[in-house]
Amino acid sequence: MHPLLLTFLIIGVPAGIGLVYIFVRGTSSMRRYIVTRIALTLPMVLILATLVFFVLRILPGDPVTSALGPKGSPEVKEQLRENLGLSDPILIQYGRFLGNIVTFDFGESLVGAHRPVSDELGERLPATIELILPATVLALLIGILFGTWAAARRKRASDYGFRLYSVVIYAMPIFWLGLLLQLLFGKVLGWAPIAGRIDAIVGTTLDRTTNFIVIDSIISGNWTALGSALHHMILPTLTLGLVLSGVFVRLTRINVIETLQEDYVTAANARGIRKHAVTYRYALKNAMIPVITLIGLQVAILLAGAVLTETVFSWPGMGRYLVERISSRDFTAVQSTITMFAIFVAMISLAVDIIYSLLDPRVRY
Amino acid sequence: MKRFRHLLVLLFALALVAAACGDDTAETTTTAATTTTAAATTTTAATTTTAGEPEEKTLIIGTTDQIASLDGADAYAVHDWELLKNIGEGLIHWEPGSGDTLVPGVATDLGAFSEDGLSYTISLLPGLVFGDGTPLTAQTYADQINNRLLVLEGPNGVGPALGQPYVESVEALDDVTIKFNLTGTWAFFPQLLAGAPYIPTNPTQFGAELNLFPEAPVYGNGPWYIESYTQGEQAVLLPNELYHGERPALDRVIIRYFGDPQTMALAVESGEIDVAWRILGPELISQLEGVDGLTVETIPAGPIRYLILSHTLAPTDDPNVRKAIASLVDRDELTDRVFGGTTTPLYSQVPPGFLGATEVFDDLYGSPNIDAAVGFLAASGYTPDNPLELSLAYPPEHYGAETADIFEVLKEQLEASGAINVTLIAQEWSTYIGAVIGGADYPVSFLGWFYDYPDPDNYLSPFISNGGLGTMVTDPDTGEVTAGLDPRLTTLLLEAAATSDPAQRIALYEELQQVYAEEVVTVPLLIIAEHIVYRDGVAGSADFPSMETLNIGPTVEFNYFTLDVTG
Repeated sequence: MHPLLLTFLIIGVPAGIGLVYIFVRGTSSMRRYIVTRIALTLPMVLILATLVFFVLRILPGDPVTSALGPKGSPEVKEQLRENLGLSDPILIQYGRFLGNIVTFDFGESLVGAHRPVSDELGERLPATIELILPATVLALLIGILFGTWAAARRKRASDYGFRLYSVVIYAMPIFWLGLLLQLLFGKVLGWAPIAGRIDAIVGTTLDRTTNFIVIDSIISGNWTALGSALHHMILPTLTLGLVLSGVFVRLTRINVIETLQEDYVTAANARGIRKHAVTYRYALKNAMIPVITLIGLQVAILLAGAVLTETVFSWPGMGRYLVERISSRDFTAVQSTITMFAIFVAMISLAVDIIYSLLDPRVRY
Repeated sequence: MKRFRHLLVLLFALALVAAACGDDTAETTTTAATTTTAAATTTTAATTTTAGEPEEKTLIIGTTDQIASLDGADAYAVHDWELLKNIGEGLIHWEPGSGDTLVPGVATDLGAFSEDGLSYTISLLPGLVFGDGTPLTAQTYADQINNRLLVLEGPNGVGPALGQPYVESVEALDDVTIKFNLTGTWAFFPQLLAGAPYIPTNPTQFGAELNLFPEAPVYGNGPWYIESYTQGEQAVLLPNELYHGERPALDRVIIRYFGDPQTMALAVESGEIDVAWRILGPELISQLEGVDGLTVETIPAGPIRYLILSHTLAPTDDPNVRKAIASLVDRDELTDRVFGGTTTPLYSQVPPGFLGATEVFDDLYGSPNIDAAVGFLAASGYTPDNPLELSLAYPPEHYGAETADIFEVLKEQLEASGAINVTLIAQEWSTYIGAVIGGADYPVSFLGWFYDYPDPDNYLSPFISNGGLGTMVTDPDTGEVTAGLDPRLTTLLLEAAATSDPAQRIALYEELQQVYAEEVVTVPLLIIAEHIVYRDGVAGSADFPSMETLNIGPTVEFNYFTLDVTG
């Protein structure tokens, strides 16, 4: 099975089952909303893909000259442009691009080995997902725990400490934090590897089926590989997760503070319910709604952060791929990658809206 | 029930922590020591290792290069050639570690030109096979070159650059004798033949169509084969059991691809890789020089950097302006201030060590000679009251972060004349390179070059012929020398290429370099030395020169078969 298709199945099947469940069990207004959102996603992706397509071609520089550099005669370059379809009228190229999106074929890369972009994305997308998923979980864990803790101890030392943490960590450049962690935990203490997704030698023992190293290790029962993969995830996940956690700390804190001033909280306190239970069981749940919304908004930032994290940690994901291909004007690869990003952000945004309505029954669409 | 659930969560978390903290270094020691994979479940057919068997020697080499193409009829990048030269072996090749010694590879001798110089005949060793058992005969070789290198026009353009202009056809005279029919008298053909495009390619894997990214395993006729590779991650090379020569001392070489040189430097420091090879900047090199357990060596050769001066755009169409620029450049200062002394000043477009190389720019223009520059500028009417407005264009990212610093220093040097005002233009590579070669945008620009074949021709011809990569000393369409320039630029070039006698060639290239410098076709600046960093225990072979640089000589070829690791 094609690796990209497999990746979609791994993410899409559980998401699809959840969606169908909500669709069947939900109200008619919810069903209408889901259908409308999915229908709106298509023109959104199309508009973005169209913009990327034309902007890339407006920019000066072309992939052939960029790839060959000072070598290669003008005749060779012209022939190559012909072979790659870059000499065709722009509307023909656009039509071909749209056709490729619909078939999820994406065409061939314009530089390097000219591999099908879908093959390259099939190798890179799992790496990025393996990075951003645990980073999001880590950011949420830190954000919710620290934010709630700070709200519950408002204007005390720990509150000031966590507020300071949230500002400092959010303002910290990702590449700088990554380098700092590499130096401390990789070089000085030797606790965690500095680069890559898996140890070079252990990697040779792993059969790649899905390109999700964690999943492949479990499927093949290669526990050494699983250990190595998890070990290699520590620093990149920490880097991305820490930077993202700042905004979650602040948002959770302010929402929990507001919720703690609600009448029902006062009533609960008056009834003698333990403060811990009031904060974490009642107030936190209601304070979570804006945090969930923020997750959707943070996905785009998360992907941007992944670009830097992947570069610093030599993590062979979509972000590093995008940077490499933008500089070589690989139109096909860039427009396909951004389209994938757009689909991903749209899907997460849809999922967040649905979860939002499930968490807050007052929300109706 | 709740407690049970908590216990399960705790157990799962503990299992994950145990797995993550598991000491995978037990089977992945990368400190250049012999590596035992006894505990690892090795599934690769060629390297199955179980407890009790001899230790497996693995070497991990880091690079910031990437695989762009593994098809010899198209590959044109330095790293691709390195891989091709390790999984394949040419008819002739450079002796590892040497800069000027060609030795037979899978040929019986170095071959010979015909009387008229229009053909070159060489004999294969008998009984050769590729790593998958496919026989390698003279006919196989001739067919592959005829049907691929001389016909196919791939995206990297190696056939049209290094095949078709020089070779008309290849004939198999018998099972082992190969005759190259050349398009002209090319004295440097043996050097060309030692390059990656002329290494035999396996017809089983590389047929009538280009196959830039073949499915692994990739078998050639050299000491290694590529067992597996993933772009941006790693490539694994294992010994080719059917190689005609000696088996390598190592059992496995892993090439690890990095996105960032800083990360690669940290990886070699921490022992995640054994060798850091291409490309570490001067700051990283000086940082690694003081680290215990690491050896940092400089290879006395590498790519060159130079200024391209347009001979058709104002103001560099004025010979006085070109000569003034050549007189004002202080290469020693560039080396010291920008590169901390890790580069070598370059005083001719042909680097030292190559046939007939001179230091003609130093002789003609000094290094620097501000008074002479002021004189040249004044001759064209440029004075402190009427300064020359000059723009210098450069790509800030393509040749490393130091490029911007080079230009800041150059600006200071040129403005030291008092009669030049410099404007710097930083332009992103994909836009920049088209503009440079087109010759219509920048009077002064900056490029790098690394040879395709180690001969002076390859350092002069590209900057003279067909527009000269933006120098415009010849017309890109007709090849005629631009009006007002010395016509000997092209006549000497052709004459030297057709001359086989080394002494005559030296004389011709010396004369050509003189004319080249007088016309200031380009302004050679620096040789960017390559550096290799390796951990204790990694060693090259004493059988070849340059053992301290792991047998990487001035040809900058890295032969993994000469390497070994010790306890």
